[in-house]
Amino acid sequence: MSSDPHSSRRDARSSDGVTSVDEDWTQLRTLLLAPERTQLDELRERLDNRSVEPRDISRVLPEAFAMRGPGDQQMSTVLTPYVENGFTSTVRKSPQVIVDAIAPIMGPAIRQAITRALQSMTEALNHSLDESLSVRGLQWRLEAWRTGRPFAEVVLLHRLRYRVDQVFLIHRDTGLSLHHVAAEGVVVQDEHVLSGMLTAIQEYVRDSFGASQSQALNQFQVGEWTVWIEQGSRAYLAGVIRGNPPASLREKLRDVLDRIHAEQADALASFDGDAAPFQTLQPLLEDCLQAHYEAPPRSALKLWILGGAVLLVCFWWGWTAYQAHARWTHFLAQLKVEPGILVTSANPTWGGYHLEGLRDPIAKDPLSVMSEAGIDPSTVTAQWSPFYALDPQLIMRRAQVMLKPPSTVQFRVDGEILVATGSASTEWVKETRRLALLVPGITQYRDEALIQVVVSDLLNQVNRTVIHFAPGSTRIEPLDRPRLSALADVLRNLDQAVAPSGERVRLAISGSADDTGPAALNVELSRQRAEAVLAVLGGAHLGPSTTVTTGVGGGLDNRGASTQYPAQRIVTFQASIESVHHDSEPSRP
Amino acid sequence: MIQKKICMLGGFAVGKTSLVRRFVTNVFSEHYQTTIGVTVEKKTVMVDQQDVMLMLWDLYGEDEFQHIRESYLRGSSGYILVMDGTRKATLDTARLLQQTVVRTVGPIPFVSIINKSDLQSEWEIDQPAIEQLREQGWPVFFGSAKLGQGVEELFGCLATMLLSPASPPRTCL
Repeated sequence: MSSDPHSSRRDARSSDGVTSVDEDWTQLRTLLLAPERTQLDELRERLDNRSVEPRDISRVLPEAFAMRGPGDQQMSTVLTPYVENGFTSTVRKSPQVIVDAIAPIMGPAIRQAITRALQSMTEALNHSLDESLSVRGLQWRLEAWRTGRPFAEVVLLHRLRYRVDQVFLIHRDTGLSLHHVAAEGVVVQDEHVLSGMLTAIQEYVRDSFGASQSQALNQFQVGEWTVWIEQGSRAYLAGVIRGNPPASLREKLRDVLDRIHAEQADALASFDGDAAPFQTLQPLLEDCLQAHYEAPPRSALKLWILGGAVLLVCFWWGWTAYQAHARWTHFLAQLKVEPGILVTSANPTWGGYHLEGLRDPIAKDPLSVMSEAGIDPSTVTAQWSPFYALDPQLIMRRAQVMLKPPSTVQFRVDGEILVATGSASTEWVKETRRLALLVPGITQYRDEALIQVVVSDLLNQVNRTVIHFAPGSTRIEPLDRPRLSALADVLRNLDQAVAPSGERVRLAISGSADDTGPAALNVELSRQRAEAVLAVLGGAHLGPSTTVTTGVGGGLDNRGASTQYPAQRIVTFQASIESVHHDSEPSRP
Repeated sequence: MIQKKICMLGGFAVGKTSLVRRFVTNVFSEHYQTTIGVTVEKKTVMVDQQDVMLMLWDLYGEDEFQHIRESYLRGSSGYILVMDGTRKATLDTARLLQQTVVRTVGPIPFVSIINKSDLQSEWEIDQPAIEQLREQGWPVFFGSAKLGQGVEELFGCLATMLLSPASPPRTCL
C-alpha cells in the first residue's frame, strides 16, 4: 500500500502549496484530452456562430432530398412553385433550350399520332367505299342517319370482330386508377369511378361466393361488351372489349401486366395515391388497344372478276360501236360510188341513222347496198328524191329497160350516143329508131352495124335443113353437128325476131326410117332420131317464143335430099309462125 | 394528381349517401334510397395548393341484418364515420365500425360527423357522449346534408389529415 506513487506528490504539494499539483494535473489533462478539446472548441464556435455555410448545405442537400423522398408530399408542395416559375422563365427567355430538350420525345410522338390518325381515316374511308353501294351499305347508311353517327363508324362497328375499347390499370388494394387508355372515338366515362366500381364489383363477387383472395372475377359480359380482367400481385388490368376477342388477347394482357409489374415494381409497392409514375406506361397500354375487322365481303377475286366483266363490257361496247361506225362509213362510201344515188345528208340518230338524198329510180336499191354493208335496214330512215342520173351505166340500163333489145343486140353508150350492134328483126329495128331518142341522156341513136333479120328467110333456112342417118343408127354424124349448131343460132334469132310482135314459133322435128326391118322398130327408130337431133340443138327450150315438137315423119320428099342415100333415114324440120291468139291456125312462112 | 380512397361508414340511414351527394354534386334529395353494396363517387379538393382526388366509397349502411364487408375497406387511406343525431344507436354502430376498420386496415385517419343537425331538437346523442368521443381522439363534426352544413369542412379536414397524417389540423380536433 505504501508503494502508491501519488503519496510523495501529495506530500510535495503539501509542502509547496497547491500550485505544483494543479500544474501537473493541467499538463496531464492537456496531454490526454488535447484532440477532444480542439473539437469542443470547434463545436462551441459553431454553436456561438449560428449562420449556416452554403458549403455545408451543399454537402447534405442531395442526401436530404433523398431522405425526404417520394413519400413526402411537402417537399413537392414547397418546390413546385419555384420549379414552375423557373420553367416558365426558361420558356420565355430561351425557348430553344426547351425545344431541343423535348424534340426527341415529341417528334416521334407527333409522327405516331399523325400516322394513327391517317390510318384510321384511310381505314374508315376504305370501309365506307366498300359498302357505299351495297344493299347492306344502304341499311347501314339508314342506321347512321337514325343514330346520328358517322357512316364510317357504323360500318366499322358492323365489321367489327373485336376491338379493345379501353384498358384500365388499377391498383389492386385501393381500387385507384393507375392509368387508363381508350381507343379513338370511344366515349369514356369517368375512369377513376369506373376503376373503383370494378374493384368493388370484384370484391362483392368474391365475398358473395366465399372465394379466396387468389380467386377473382376474371371476366364478365355486358351486352356487346366483354370485360377481361387479368390479376396481378399489386395491380390488375381490365380490358373493355367489344365483340368476340380471341384467346391470344388474354395472353397479351397477361404479358403486359407482367411487364408492368417487372418495370414498375417499386412504384407499385410504394403507391400512395400518386399515379404520375405510371404515365410512362401509355405506349404499353396502347399496345393492348387491338382491333380486328371482318374482311370485306367482296373478295379480291370477285373484284377482279367484276372489274374484268366491266372492262369486257366496255371493250365489247367499244368494239361494237367501232364496227357499226366502220360499217356505216363503208356504206356511205358505197353509196357515194353507186351511180344514180347522191347522199346530201347522213346523220346518226338515237339508235340508228337518217339519210337524205337523190336517187335515180333505176339505180340500185339502197336497201340492198345496206344489206351488203351489214347494216340493219330497220335502223335507217331514208328520204330519197327522184332524179335522172346521166351516168353511162344508168343510160345503158335505162335503154335496156325502155327498148327491150333481143339478146342478139348489144348496146354501147358513147357519151350521149346509143350504139346498137348485132342482129334484130326489122320490126324491132324500126321501133327502136323511134324510141331511142326518148331515153333520158340519149341525144343520138346509131344502128349502122345492126343487121336486120327477115323472119321468112329464117323460116326457109330452117325448113330446108335435112339431117341424114346411117342405116339403123340414131347417131348424129360429125359432119352434121356444125350444121345443127348453125341451125340452133337461126332458131334463136327467129325466136327473138318474133318476140316483139307477140307471135310464136312452132318447130316440128320429124324423124323417118327406111322400109327395111319391122315397122314398129322403124317407128321407134324414127322417133329416137328426132330426139337425138333435138338434143344436139340444145333441148326443147330453144327460146321463150318457140315451141318444139318431135314426131315420126312419113318419108322423104325431094327437098334437099341426096340421091346417094336412102331417102327415108332422115330428120326434117318444119317451122312456122303462129299468132298467140290463133295458135290453132298456123301461118305459113 | 394524388388520389385517396375514402370509405363512408355508418349505420343504416344515417345520411352517408346524402353527404356524398351534397359534397360531390351539391344536391340533396328527400327521397331515400338504400345503397346496394357500394357506390363510388369522386371529388377533387385542394389542400395546401395541391389537388387531391377523393374516391368516395359509399358503403351500404351497417345494421343488424348486414355487416360491412371488410374487403371494401382494404386500401382505404381514410374514412368517415357518420352518425344520426336523432338515433343514439348509430353512435354505437360507429364505434363498432371504427373498431372493425382498425382491425382490418389499421389506425388510418378518420373523421366523424353527427348528421341531421337540422333536427337538433330531436337529437338523442347528448353532449357527454360527444365529449367522450373527443376524449377518445375522434374528430367530431356536426352537420346536415340537407342544409349543406359542415360537409365541406368534414371532407376538407379529412383530406388535410391524409396529406399530413402526423400533424392533423387543429380545426379537426
